[in-house]
Amino acid sequence: MAHIQLDNVGLTFHVRRGGRVGLKEFLVRGMFRRSAENWLTVEALRDINLQIRQGERVGVIGKNGAGKTSLLKLLAGVYPPTSGRRGVEGSVSSLFEITLGFEPDASGWENIKYRGYLQGESPRSIRAKAQSIADFCELGDFLNMPVRYYSTGMTVRLAFAIATAVEPQILLVDESLSAGDLAFQKRARRRMKKLMSEASLVVLVSHDLEAVSNVCDRVILLDGGRIRQDGPADEVIATYQQGFATAHGKAA
Amino acid sequence: MSSGSIAVSDYCRGIWRTRFFWLSLVKMDLRTRYRRSMLGIGWSLLHPVAMTIVLCTIFSKLFGQPWREYGPYVLSGMALWNYFAGVTVDGCQSFLQGESYIRQHPAPLAIYPLRTTLSAGFHFLLALVVVLVFTWCVHGFGNLPALTALLPVLLLLFVFGWAVSCCVSILNVMFQDTQHLVMVAMQILFYITPVFYPAEMLRERNLAWIVDYNPLAGFMEMIRQPVLTGQLPIFPGVGLAVATTVFVSLIATIGLARMQQRLIFHL
Repeated sequence: MAHIQLDNVGLTFHVRRGGRVGLKEFLVRGMFRRSAENWLTVEALRDINLQIRQGERVGVIGKNGAGKTSLLKLLAGVYPPTSGRRGVEGSVSSLFEITLGFEPDASGWENIKYRGYLQGESPRSIRAKAQSIADFCELGDFLNMPVRYYSTGMTVRLAFAIATAVEPQILLVDESLSAGDLAFQKRARRRMKKLMSEASLVVLVSHDLEAVSNVCDRVILLDGGRIRQDGPADEVIATYQQGFATAHGKAA
Repeated sequence: MSSGSIAVSDYCRGIWRTRFFWLSLVKMDLRTRYRRSMLGIGWSLLHPVAMTIVLCTIFSKLFGQPWREYGPYVLSGMALWNYFAGVTVDGCQSFLQGESYIRQHPAPLAIYPLRTTLSAGFHFLLALVVVLVFTWCVHGFGNLPALTALLPVLLLLFVFGWAVSCCVSILNVMFQDTQHLVMVAMQILFYITPVFYPAEMLRERNLAWIVDYNPLAGFMEMIRQPVLTGQLPIFPGVGLAVATTVFVSLIATIGLARMQQRLIFHL
């Protein structure tokens, strides 16, 4: 049973104002007890109470910096909550920052293996999937080449093909995957649709309101790290569009 | 306490579950290093061998030692030293190297230093084979029971290396100049550890404490006694080496437990 439950979850980042410091600098500063000034606190998420049940398709919308991606990464387990409780049941597959994490010196085939293993595949199961991944991304002989020499579009193709080759119970998706040529985009969209219909629980973060209303029956509107509204898709999207319009009106 | 032990066994299961992942990364590291050719392996052994030849020509005269004794001694020292340098200096990069994986997928953090340690360890084993063959060529076949004693020694070295690279890689995420400082420290340690000079030379000059209180010197002896003289590695230095390993492992465990939930915020 796929299930997500967040109780009073907060996520606070402590960011160093001047980037990473050196050990020497830290020791010297520590002696004068002034290191506290250098920290900046960012509350990415606050008081998030959320329950998503099996079968739900949930869209997350909001302005840039509202905490959408942070929420998704928290659900994926990449960010542990700094307060509250996070409970996620079911196998999770996440589609965000998929173009990161390739070994540049290894070939496409090898990267398929590494990614697959990280997603929990075994040598036997990935051998069966590798060919279908290769067929889907249509990179042909390029797969024998180190990923270092791939163009952005090729990297996206490969990353998308690998990330979507698993059959997860919980699918977490960030933004529309817009790179790649037109033909690939079409196929990618078809596959996404298929994946979303097969996963037992989907959370989709997107700025494309049309896509959200097509896929999701429930939408969460985030604002400043808090849940502003949580309800039926058209209602929440309407609120968002109104809010957005008035904000624009004020600005103009 | 019981929840703690559950957490530990969960953690170990996580390492086991991701075994295909880190093992394939180790394989890739080795392949990149050896460039898929026999020459590649020879090339990577060139450094310790060349150092040995140079040190042999100069220091066997300077120390008044025959090259037959001194050659295997230096080669074994260089082999082990390269392992130490690998787990500390390269170990610093463990998390930064795996940053994009850490950002995408939750997994036990210890697997990233493990990757570095295993590649350095494989390299060391290769060099150790060269040392063994070299010694057998010069002195004849060694003492087999003593050689089996190498197994626990290697296991200890592996745990030590893994723990050390966990510690330095955590430090390196927090403080960007860690690697530089580690390199400086290793340079200093190189000269106060009997890598290229015989430990007896220090003892004769009332500097025995440099060897006696240096755990790295203990590790050196533990490798050298079975390989070079065919003796079981049993001497006071073993205790210090084991104690150091336990201590560093403890720090690494505490560090990993604290950072598992926090490291992502520092990357």
